[in-house]
Amino acid sequence: MLPLHHLPGATVVTKPPLSPATLFHPQPPFTFPHSKTLTPKPKHLPSPSSLLQWNRKPELAGETPRVAVITSGKGGVGKTTTTANIGLSLARLGFSVVAIDADVGLRNLDLLLGLENRVNYTVVEVLNGDCRLDQALVRDKRWSNFELLCISKPRSKLPLGFGGKALTWLVEALKSRQEGSPDFVLIDCPAGIDAGFITAITPANEAVLITTPDITSLRDADRVTGLLECDGIRDIKMIVNRVRTDMIKGEDMMSVLDVQEMLGLPLLGVIPEDCEVIRSTNRGYPLVLNKPPTLAGLAFEQAAWRLVEQDSMQAVVVEEEPKRGFFSFFGG
Amino acid sequence: MASVWTLHFRFVSLRPCQYPFISSTRNRITITNGISKWPQLKQHSINTIAKFNHQLVTSMPTPPFLLNRNAGSNFPIWVCVAVVVLVAAVRVLPRRKKDRPGSVADLVRRGQLRSDRRGISRPLKYEDPFNNPFVKVGKSNSTVEMCGKVYRLAPVTLTQEQQTTHQRRRSRAYQWKRPTMFLKEGDSVPPDVDPDTVRWIPANHPFATTATDLDEDLAQNNVYQKNGVPFRIQAEHEALQRKLEALQNEQKLNKLVIDPTNAREFERPFNSNSKLNDHPDKSSVNNQEQKQNKLVIDPTNAKEFERSFNSHVKLNDHAEKSSINNQPSDSQSPKLESDANHFESASSSEEDPSL
Repeated sequence: MLPLHHLPGATVVTKPPLSPATLFHPQPPFTFPHSKTLTPKPKHLPSPSSLLQWNRKPELAGETPRVAVITSGKGGVGKTTTTANIGLSLARLGFSVVAIDADVGLRNLDLLLGLENRVNYTVVEVLNGDCRLDQALVRDKRWSNFELLCISKPRSKLPLGFGGKALTWLVEALKSRQEGSPDFVLIDCPAGIDAGFITAITPANEAVLITTPDITSLRDADRVTGLLECDGIRDIKMIVNRVRTDMIKGEDMMSVLDVQEMLGLPLLGVIPEDCEVIRSTNRGYPLVLNKPPTLAGLAFEQAAWRLVEQDSMQAVVVEEEPKRGFFSFFGG
Repeated sequence: MASVWTLHFRFVSLRPCQYPFISSTRNRITITNGISKWPQLKQHSINTIAKFNHQLVTSMPTPPFLLNRNAGSNFPIWVCVAVVVLVAAVRVLPRRKKDRPGSVADLVRRGQLRSDRRGISRPLKYEDPFNNPFVKVGKSNSTVEMCGKVYRLAPVTLTQEQQTTHQRRRSRAYQWKRPTMFLKEGDSVPPDVDPDTVRWIPANHPFATTATDLDEDLAQNNVYQKNGVPFRIQAEHEALQRKLEALQNEQKLNKLVIDPTNAREFERPFNSNSKLNDHPDKSSVNNQEQKQNKLVIDPTNAKEFERSFNSHVKLNDHAEKSSINNQPSDSQSPKLESDANHFESASSSEEDPSL
């Protein structure tokens, strides 16, 4: 899939592709990280232009495995959908991905991926010694470089205190696999800031914050961002989900730029509201695999592309009133 | 009544010599029975119709083309017919052409092919928004029209300074230290633990299991294990083997005979609870009987014993195979789960020190 930089929710890249060496700058603790993508803007902003990048794959930036937690604070904003779609997008781009469903009591990632019948072993069984880690990993048959790992079965309980440590061990074990370390480990975080959240963020070194343009989601997102920053995770990017440009135009919804102004986080992606999301969820077939592609699926692919390159959006697409001609009144 | 009269009237006018209704239908007879002077009336009506016909013929003027039936007089009619047929053909033919799926016209209509690009063999890249007929870029290159809506690019205005300000605000607002110690409500805090890093968890939380018989190092080793039989399965296997050896030593039998009922005794830990309750008295009686009677080994019985004992070895084999496919198939999963669950119950009941 080639990138569409002019679709709603798509980015506009104003610079040539960056090499990983120029993108990744490890930061010392207690200093705010230097943004790899956002540069101080001149006073007179030039009108954004687009640069299509056709004949290349995204260049992986940063050290592998990139352990990213996908969190939001509020429930129902699309964490699991994002994990499934970005994970499969990364797999389609050729990177090996392990998605960990860290929702202990209410796991759903397997359903979204259509792998619910293939989950027999979970991390709990691995910890107990009932199976090995490689047996608990469920390989997706559609994209064999995508693997799913569930923390527990819906009614089982995780041993107390093992949560965070267990995930750290898992990531370490994945690093030293015989077939090589995965490029990405995506952790689907449960809602809230309870023990599940603490477990999920423990091994992560970057975070993707999912939010919707409403005040409840924004307040939770801000709090979660604060907790992540206190925990030492500085590389936080946000995805604004369920954006409706028509409502933004009618000023019934906050614009993406408003959301960014409130949270102060770089944008990884903007996902338009799409009825195909529910359909794909029910089918167990992630949006990004849809043919023909859907708007939301394309936006997820774009976000995955930026995640790989540690890039962020430089411009967003806003809807305008169409300019009416003189004869528009008569249907012209 | 009027309708009846009309019917009768028309019938008479067409066929004045016959009266089929009077003779054939009973209803008609009953209606006309009320009229007393039927023949007179009939004659009168015949006369009236004849007069009416005559008047009608004389009053209507004959069209000129009927009067003048020479060659070429049908020309206007044929012209009209030809025009109608032509119009119909013109309207029907393009529709047929358009309906044919896959035709070039159909492709153009569906937007797959531009009408000005017909004959160009290179296909359009529709992923390219700038080469898509449904996406129109504005003249000033700042707007783009898609699906009838006009979009504009708005630059992101977040600067590094603003980002830093937000981070400072959050660091002031949320003073948080990630908890590293999870304790159930009611537990006491260990002396060497920072109270800020303790997370109190309600007893019904999924993290708060009732009892953990697994220590941290063992769990870590289990996670890091790459090859071989998983720890617990191996431990169960060894425990069962030890139990069997102990049993054999106790019996001190030179020749051991195991029949299927005895084999079931050994199967107990591997099977479901329902099988556990299968004739316990009977099996114990048989066991006692066979302790008294020293018999010869029956090879078929011995095989069954082996099969029952190696059931979890098969499970390990299966685990090995599944490492290729990562997870076993769906049909096998309930069996595996039940086996695993049963292992746990067996281990807890046996109180083996190795576990």
